[in-house]
Amino acid sequence: MSKTTDELIAGLTADVPRVAPGAVSRRVALGLGLGGLGSAAVMLAWLGPRPDLAQAVMTPMFWMKFGYAALTGLILAGVLVRLAKPAARIGGLTLAAAAPFVLVATMAAMRLAQAPPETQQAMLMGHSSMICPWRIVAIGLPLLAGAVWAVRGLAPTRLGLAGLAAGGCAGALGAMIYSVACDETSAPFLAIWYTLGMALVAALGAAAGSRLLRWR
Amino acid sequence: MLAGLAGEAEPYRRLLNELSALLRGYYGRRCPPGLDAEDLVQETLIAVHTRRATYDAGQPFTAWAYAIARYKLIDALRRARLHLRAPAEEADALFVPAGADAAMAARDLERVMADLPERTRALIRETKIDGLSTREAAQKHGMTESAVKVAIHRGLKSLGGKYAPQEGGSDVEDD
Repeated sequence: MSKTTDELIAGLTADVPRVAPGAVSRRVALGLGLGGLGSAAVMLAWLGPRPDLAQAVMTPMFWMKFGYAALTGLILAGVLVRLAKPAARIGGLTLAAAAPFVLVATMAAMRLAQAPPETQQAMLMGHSSMICPWRIVAIGLPLLAGAVWAVRGLAPTRLGLAGLAAGGCAGALGAMIYSVACDETSAPFLAIWYTLGMALVAALGAAAGSRLLRWR
Repeated sequence: MLAGLAGEAEPYRRLLNELSALLRGYYGRRCPPGLDAEDLVQETLIAVHTRRATYDAGQPFTAWAYAIARYKLIDALRRARLHLRAPAEEADALFVPAGADAAMAARDLERVMADLPERTRALIRETKIDGLSTREAAQKHGMTESAVKVAIHRGLKSLGGKYAPQEGGSDVEDD
């Protein structure tokens, strides 16, 4: 038995190509990039960018939506890179991932408190609250597939957690892409319905993670 | 490990050798009966090698390698459990229809042979099913061996003629 293990080691070490540093991050970036292209294609073919995009990019609210989702997605991509490695610590990054949400939620609460009561309902529900989370889920799916592909080719050892991070990241970047099509303008809407969409994709990733991320 | 990542074969080989000894100890204590500890050692070495890009320079190497070893152990246990469960589920499917088939075949055989003379029936059953030799069957019935052969041959031929109009009976006809 031990003879064949020696042979195995000899075979493995016969030719050892150099591994460039940052290979893990590059693979995750590639997976998310390809998935992102798919998600952008879904958004463009299905919904299209909002017609008033040219004016909208001049408004802070557009960038608040885009920035909230983008920042959350980027931080979770960092978490995902760590969870793709055995025995890596996530440390403070989980807290960092919640920071954009805390910021947006605080801002939403302030806007809501200042608003006249008769407009509060409209601020909370917008006109698309019932479809917004589902659109984020649909747009996030190609991203989730890209993230799963990238991570299962690495070495995650906590699959459920890695699935959660993959889903959260895909959901947030999907929401970022959706924000180009979405014409809602209130911070409370963003804090509730965008976050719900991201959370749905995260839950999907967590549920499927232990199965989809298994590697041999 | 850093040498391995940098592509230096010799220190890397020493590392894998030391690691295989550590892994043997790790799996030797934890590997349940039915799983081969050395297989797990080898699988882990392969995983360490093919996924070495996931090792961070600042990280303790043993923590990284043991996390892979632990994952491999859990993975192997899960698959072993699946294997154990599968035969248990298949057992009914395997044996019940097989038994039923045999019972049906026996019933068919009885019906088919009912037309033959009593002694021919007994001879066919004893030589073709119970596994007696022609000589044993001959002694049992006080016949000569060639008489037994002729009786069996005729019996089978008449069965073949009756129940296998097309091509049939060939598997029972040749002695």
